[in-house]
Amino acid sequence: MGKLQGMSEASVTNSAPVRRKLSAGPLSIGDKWFFRTASIAANFSFVLVLLILIFLLIQALPAITSQGLPFIYGTEWNNSKDPIVMQIGPMIWGSVLIGALGVVFATPLAISLAYLIVFMLPSRSAKAATTLVDLLAALPSVILGLWGLFVFTPVAAQWSSLLNSYVGWFPLFQVSTADNGFLGSPFIAGWIVAIMIVPIITSITREVFSQLDRDLINGALALGGSRLSVFRRVIFPTSSGAVVGGVLLGLGRALGETVAIFYVLQLSFDFNWAQILEPKGGAVASMILSKFGEASEEEVSGLIAAGLVLFILTLGINFLASVIVNRAQPWRKI
Amino acid sequence: MSFAPRPSVQPWARVNKSRKSQIFLASVLPLTLSALIVFFTGLDQNLALVGVFLPLQLVAASLVGFLAFGRRGVGDSFLIVLVVFLSTFVLVLLVSVIVSLVSQGAKAFSWTFLSQNNIYVANTTSLDFGGVGHAVIGTLMIVGLTTIVTVPLGLAMAVYLTQSQSKTKGLVRTLTQAISGLPSVVAGLFIMSLALTLGWERSGLLGSMALLPLMLPTVARVAEEALRLVPVDLRYAALALGAPNYRAFFQVILPAAKSGLVTAILLGVARIIGETAPLLLTVPINNGTSWNIFSGNMMTLPAYIYGYLASVFEPSQNRAWGAALVLMILVALLFGATRLLSRSKSLKSKPTKQKASK
Repeated sequence: MGKLQGMSEASVTNSAPVRRKLSAGPLSIGDKWFFRTASIAANFSFVLVLLILIFLLIQALPAITSQGLPFIYGTEWNNSKDPIVMQIGPMIWGSVLIGALGVVFATPLAISLAYLIVFMLPSRSAKAATTLVDLLAALPSVILGLWGLFVFTPVAAQWSSLLNSYVGWFPLFQVSTADNGFLGSPFIAGWIVAIMIVPIITSITREVFSQLDRDLINGALALGGSRLSVFRRVIFPTSSGAVVGGVLLGLGRALGETVAIFYVLQLSFDFNWAQILEPKGGAVASMILSKFGEASEEEVSGLIAAGLVLFILTLGINFLASVIVNRAQPWRKI
Repeated sequence: MSFAPRPSVQPWARVNKSRKSQIFLASVLPLTLSALIVFFTGLDQNLALVGVFLPLQLVAASLVGFLAFGRRGVGDSFLIVLVVFLSTFVLVLLVSVIVSLVSQGAKAFSWTFLSQNNIYVANTTSLDFGGVGHAVIGTLMIVGLTTIVTVPLGLAMAVYLTQSQSKTKGLVRTLTQAISGLPSVVAGLFIMSLALTLGWERSGLLGSMALLPLMLPTVARVAEEALRLVPVDLRYAALALGAPNYRAFFQVILPAAKSGLVTAILLGVARIIGETAPLLLTVPINNGTSWNIFSGNMMTLPAYIYGYLASVFEPSQNRAWGAALVLMILVALLFGATRLLSRSKSLKSKPTKQKASK
């Protein structure tokens, strides 16, 4: 379908043949417009990212110039002071902490789900399980928030109190006082986030598992390996790259989660480094939502700056994750 | 069942009779034992599940595995028990969400609840009055407008990723994937800053715009997968018959990938129909019904749930659950439609995986 150019130039002038140039292009006007439309649409993704950056920057600029660098690491948000103080350090750390907890909870669940679907279930029930996982992915976050507040929080508070009473000597599980009933902690928010990212990690892991070389696995089994040793020595090493990519994608989603953890987390502008059962935590996205309703003009600018920080953070993580996932799935490239 | 004497050793048989009873014992004993312990000692159930049941089950299964296959049987059973345990945990969470949605939502669910709006409703008004009618209309209008704009765009991106020979395909794909992780609150903030910069009023239209970047990656990615499932030979045949690329696409590839593309649209809609944060930031809420998406207040289902969720009054909480059930039914309808489509597709023709070609 391509047209060949440079055929005539390739005619023999020297003993060494000139390298021919081959190029293919659309032949008709209709085709030209067809491909032009497609590439305009594709370039829209660049434009979109640029537009988001530009407009967030325009509106965030007043806050950035007035707050300076402490905006990122400071611990105070006070709109009654003059000039107004807006700092989101604990929120950023809280987002990272909750995201990390979510990943820690979700990864074993997701990997075992993927293993179950690919290597254990017969094809029909594997399809049903896949549908269930997709259904989990389709749950709107506000519904998870509702469920998290009324149904899950009491259960998770029970887990927290057990953790605190049995392994409370470990710094991670210490609390200042048990009077508040272990509600509103990063631990609970981490679980809610984990439920949201299990499907993401599962779908990527499942795809990699199903593309693994079956002969390799069967060979390892024939050599006397058990399922466990085959998983540890064959399956996991060959698929770990894509799993890491999936985990990063999940982390990106966890950092940006807003409504679901808005209800189950007690926001606090006081750093909570790693006491995951303490009812104070932070999340940039939830903080934006909680303050946006009655924000003054200056505060809106500060919140948009917080959104800009979140955007850059998640875009970086997601970009890295996409690169890793695409690298680890060479069969997807055409 | 045959009554002929069977050889006592059948190495090729997967399980023989005594093994069957071992497996039965191994799968029943740990559960009953831990249930008894919980019953008689009053041990906490959560603790018993992790501290008693799981170790017992691991030991029992490993024992059976060892009796059956020797050392490698231990590894087999260990992994199987762990995988089933963790997967069941996820299943229990999912079932818990759905069961509580249905049981709590059913309290509020009625024709009145579906059809009326919320004009004369206070926090404590009984569920005989008021409902989510206005929110359903708002959600459908806002999501519909987003869909009308996003679908052609997403399809064109998928065409670019599958049909063209451009060099930036990999970058576009990676970027699209990266946008798919865009936090929804940032999408809302983006449209808000756009509106603040240009001096626009908050309205349903802004909500639609805020949902676009969230829907686009899903549509583009799923549509790309659907187009990729069409055998490339079909396209080459059309081209070889003298068709230009666009006719090959519209007359050959598009019909072949139709159900997959509809799936892409449905999944995209399912992705945004429950988005809350962007709508809260961009659309002013409303207790009455509004048909005007371009100006004025408008209610959406997620905003409705959000508004009633934290209320301390019982009727209001029931309203939140009822609205959540309505939202979940919408999602489930979309979801069921995609499943039906994919099933009918796989019955007609098995999708052939395209070989990677340089």
